[in-house]
Amino acid sequence: MKSFLYNIGYFIKETGRIIRLNLLSNVFSIIGTGLILIILGIVIVGTDIGNRLVVMLNEEAEISGYFSDSVDEEAKETVVERIGKIQGVTSVRLVSETEAQDRMKDILGDEAKILELFDENPFEAFVEIRIDMEAIDNILDDVASMIEIEYVRDNRAVLDNIKDITNTLKLFGYLMITAVGITTIIILSHMIRQGIYNNKEQINTLRLLGSPSGFIGLPYILSGILLTFLGGMLATVSIVSLINVAYEGIAGTIPFMPLPPRTDLIEKMMIILPSISLSLGFIGSLFGLSSIRERA
Amino acid sequence: MIKANDVSLIYQDGTKALRNVNLDIKPGELVYITGPSGSGKTSLLKLIMGMEYPTTGNIRVLGNSFKKNNTGKIRKIRKRIGPVFQEFKLIEGRTAFENVMIGMRFLGIKPKQMKQRAHESLEKVGLGHKKLSKVENLSWGESQRVAIARAVARKPALILADEPTGNLDYDNAINILQLLKSFIEKDTSIIITTHATHLIKDEQNATFIQVNKGEITVDRRGKSYEKLSV
Repeated sequence: MKSFLYNIGYFIKETGRIIRLNLLSNVFSIIGTGLILIILGIVIVGTDIGNRLVVMLNEEAEISGYFSDSVDEEAKETVVERIGKIQGVTSVRLVSETEAQDRMKDILGDEAKILELFDENPFEAFVEIRIDMEAIDNILDDVASMIEIEYVRDNRAVLDNIKDITNTLKLFGYLMITAVGITTIIILSHMIRQGIYNNKEQINTLRLLGSPSGFIGLPYILSGILLTFLGGMLATVSIVSLINVAYEGIAGTIPFMPLPPRTDLIEKMMIILPSISLSLGFIGSLFGLSSIRERA
Repeated sequence: MIKANDVSLIYQDGTKALRNVNLDIKPGELVYITGPSGSGKTSLLKLIMGMEYPTTGNIRVLGNSFKKNNTGKIRKIRKRIGPVFQEFKLIEGRTAFENVMIGMRFLGIKPKQMKQRAHESLEKVGLGHKKLSKVENLSWGESQRVAIARAVARKPALILADEPTGNLDYDNAINILQLLKSFIEKDTSIIITTHATHLIKDEQNATFIQVNKGEITVDRRGKSYEKLSV
């Protein structure tokens, strides 16, 4: 440890030298890593927006419960109360026959005249239940088992689609992160190996003088981390610019699009991308260094 | 310091480099390893450096025996050796001073002390005025002196010099040998390989190891070595 502390200046100088040794190739590596991380950034932003959309859709997820004919008004209120206590129910309210008819009139618009053909209001009162998607199965079972409820309309197909979208988005995000991670690690470890190859005489001399592998390898790890971090910074700047341009464009053309707040997204990117680049730089350098480890 | 018992070294291609070598080198001893090219001198040095392992027998260097794949132990021993390689193995693109410094950086020496040792050792080898020159701009003789400075700045228990007179004329060869001998101390031994026996034939206080076809004969002259001045 002492040797490392006494030689901080040397390690920094060596790192600079390793980078300068193949400057052009390293500049391209920074750009390459930056481009890969830009793709990752786009995926993260897309997943973030997608997740927000899914959360909003989830919040809108609801089922309807229709009463048996014999249930009176007081019993209906009791049922509403009982449903409200089921785990996973976020809100519940009783929709009267009149409200049900009004809603249909709104939906039909000009065609609502057709409802005038009925002597009586054909709509029934029902319970409108907003739910947490994760708990849908339990809620359906509980509501359906109530004696006062004759029929439950669950919009299952729609709700399952929402669930599928959520899972697909998550899976795609994980796949992209894995792909980007592996690609960056391969590029970086190749760069490090190239650096080691270019300095093999020096490394051999240091070994013969008794230098520990950690001492020999640290400048390579530092250069790997620095190069990837620079790639990460390049990606961060590009993604932030991209977010600004996209938000201005979307705000003008699709104002109802449920986007997360711009500053939140920018802050998130400014933390995530440099952090990922540092981690990948470290892991990639270690992979690259495996070629000089444990050899005397 | 170095003790070898019945050491044989056979390379993978079947070449028998050393046969039944027995050796006991004490602290403060000056040792010349002589013999024609291909006789096994370098193989013996490689064994001492832990670059090769005995096929049979065992060798202890500075109280430790090299074990294959025990890189930690090999490093520990090498840290106490000051090697002067035949081809110097200086690091290009660095100054003479940086090359001397780099040999000490992982020994746990404080930076101020390292710098002082580097300055002193370069002065001792007569290169104080060239310490900031890049090694690729130095002459053969100067590069060799930087290699010696790098070895001695580490204050090693054992200095190993492989053919230090190899490419030098008579006067320069004698000077280099005198310079190397000036670093011998009570606890520091020096092993020098050379095929130029005419340069050392009059040496009285040294151990001569003659290597021939992998076998060695040892001739000890004098019991202790008087430090020489350059």
